[in-house]
Amino acid sequence: MGKIVTDSSALILLAKCGLIEKFCDTYEIIAPKSVIMEVASEEMKKRYPDAALIAELISNEKIKEQNPEKVKLQLPVTLDQGEKDALFLAGELDGSMFATDDGKAIKAAKFFKISFIVTPRIVIELFRQNKISYQLAKLAIEKLSIIGRYTPDIIANALLTLTEEKK
Amino acid sequence: MTKPTTIRLPEDLVSEIDQYVHEAKLDRSIYLREILKKGFSIDKQERVLQKYAAGELSQMEACRALKWDPWQFFEELRIRNLHLNVSLEDFLHSSELPGK
Repeated sequence: MGKIVTDSSALILLAKCGLIEKFCDTYEIIAPKSVIMEVASEEMKKRYPDAALIAELISNEKIKEQNPEKVKLQLPVTLDQGEKDALFLAGELDGSMFATDDGKAIKAAKFFKISFIVTPRIVIELFRQNKISYQLAKLAIEKLSIIGRYTPDIIANALLTLTEEKK
Repeated sequence: MTKPTTIRLPEDLVSEIDQYVHEAKLDRSIYLREILKKGFSIDKQERVLQKYAAGELSQMEACRALKWDPWQFFEELRIRNLHLNVSLEDFLHSSELPGK
């Protein structure tokens, strides 16, 4: 099972587009403690139903907590603690991938040559691997446009790729 | 704790403020302090979000600067009709998931 290390942006968008449970069933999802605190603290659970869902997935170990071990490398850009921890952890775990929806974190991942994936691509991949239906994938990408605030060019490209995968 | 400061304002703005605080029976000093705080907060949000859009700040750096939580961040972008700082190139270059 492939390992995916997520930061808070990816966890939130996967929850908001309704695919986080499917994603956790399909892959080994890992998040550092700092990320978990950002998205699923007691305060977040009270405010946001999706935060409570993430907290439940953590308590059921569908999302595993793990922290980076090595001495921190010098980043080419500044990042907040959770983003940094997730990036370094993805770099430490062999064959893992960094899931993020932040442009600056992606820039750092590219610098360290760490494989990264954004949520619209996760949706396409789940469809490509027959884990979700075309309708569900399309709906999720549409949600990433409105709720997830992805740019129209990315959404158009994601929908086009999805349609091509359907053929 | 408050600290006195002096600023020069356009005459017409001062008379409009004076007229309003008189009509609304407000304390002029308190009112000015509150609208200055409000204006500064709006300006700070704009500056931070501009830096986020330009890729100078990450999502969580922006959240920390504005005392927002990451869930709120997406809602604030929606209200302002702003988008994520992920580029089309980032999307096109993002990896495929490993097959199960």
